[in-house]
Amino acid sequence: MYVPEDLEDLLQYLDEHQTGFQLIANGSDLINRIQRKQINPKTLVDISGLSEFNYVRKEGSTIKIGALTTISDLLSSPVIDSRHEVFREVAARFGGPSIINVATVGGNVCAASSSEDLLPVFLVLEAKVKLRSKHGERTVTLEEFLKGKRLTDLRPNEILTEVMFEELDDNSACAFEKVGMRNSLIIAFVNSAVRLTLEKGSKRVVDIRIAFNRVNGKIPQRARKVEEKLRGAALTEENIAAAVASLNSELKLSSDFRASGEYRTNVACALFKRALNRCTEKLIGETIIV
Amino acid sequence: MMVESHERLLDVLRNRLGLRGTKEGCSTGDCGICAVLMNGRLVNSCLILAIQARNKRITTIEGIGTEEKLHPIQRAFMKWNASQCGFCIPAMILAAKDLVDRNPDPTEDEIRKATSGILCRCTGYVKIVEAVKTAAQEMKK
Repeated sequence: MYVPEDLEDLLQYLDEHQTGFQLIANGSDLINRIQRKQINPKTLVDISGLSEFNYVRKEGSTIKIGALTTISDLLSSPVIDSRHEVFREVAARFGGPSIINVATVGGNVCAASSSEDLLPVFLVLEAKVKLRSKHGERTVTLEEFLKGKRLTDLRPNEILTEVMFEELDDNSACAFEKVGMRNSLIIAFVNSAVRLTLEKGSKRVVDIRIAFNRVNGKIPQRARKVEEKLRGAALTEENIAAAVASLNSELKLSSDFRASGEYRTNVACALFKRALNRCTEKLIGETIIV
Repeated sequence: MMVESHERLLDVLRNRLGLRGTKEGCSTGDCGICAVLMNGRLVNSCLILAIQARNKRITTIEGIGTEEKLHPIQRAFMKWNASQCGFCIPAMILAAKDLVDRNPDPTEDEIRKATSGILCRCTGYVKIVEAVKTAAQEMKK
């Protein structure tokens, strides 16, 4: 294991080596994958000591979360106020205390698989990630960053330092839903996040973003066709039914040992409706779908 | 103390330091049986490399109370008979400690959430919840 002295030392190490190592934050996911022999890194590079990347702050209307912020730290931050309750909804289903005290926001993003519960939420918030190397810094959207299952845009000499997104305004709400074998502490069959903006005082959709942990393949993605159907439309029973029907055709959910694709699709439609209901509940105090 | 880079905190506690109060369960972070406190917060010692626990304060069940002077949480678990086979109890007691240290007056829901990461297959949890309630009351005195 290589334990860098500071950030500069770390970036120097990554730049010199480029390969043969694996970054490790607190290890709650990685240790499992090593024990299961899914990965076999020669050297672990321990970034857990870089406390400068443990923060949650608001600059203007942008919320910035340091990569080494644990899920527990995120929850206890005053920046995550009642409007951003969605992070509490994620944490409640993410894992028990002994997991959320350790798992980091950056780790969840970099693990980049369908089981990472924060990803759909960050996708509907249109989050960006900040990547740093010895040679400088770049910012990419999370959508661009997620390339495939366990595949990201992170270059060998880079680390992810921050996740940022625009805060929710008065007319917007966000909700998260998940179904797995147990209530929490479990890898989801399906999870979903919805971010809804309504025209003030009406049921007309100004903007809607919908994400699932799987849409086509095994990475979390937005369901853009359904979004387009609903954007500008009124949230009537008819419009929602049409949206759910198109969701059915947009989702290409595969079967595996956890659940069949058909079951996943049914669950995804139900979760979408639930999450939409929760958004309207937050915004106009009523649910719109039975 | 020198540790090998592949050793987990759990291995070092049990095999090197002889602190066998911390149990090994699933070793995948699912059951929570190996939980200890790291800087006062509950963590799974099976998912932490010992080397990453450097400069951190680790509390195991052995550091909670002595046979002569049990911790109020331990006394409450005895009073309520909250332990059956006992395998999960060290972790359960540490989870309770993490909770009441930060929240001296926990609700039943908060107690259930705080212990939710630790699987007990025999007690049915009711007595555990009651014991934590009692312990919290005792500790406030």
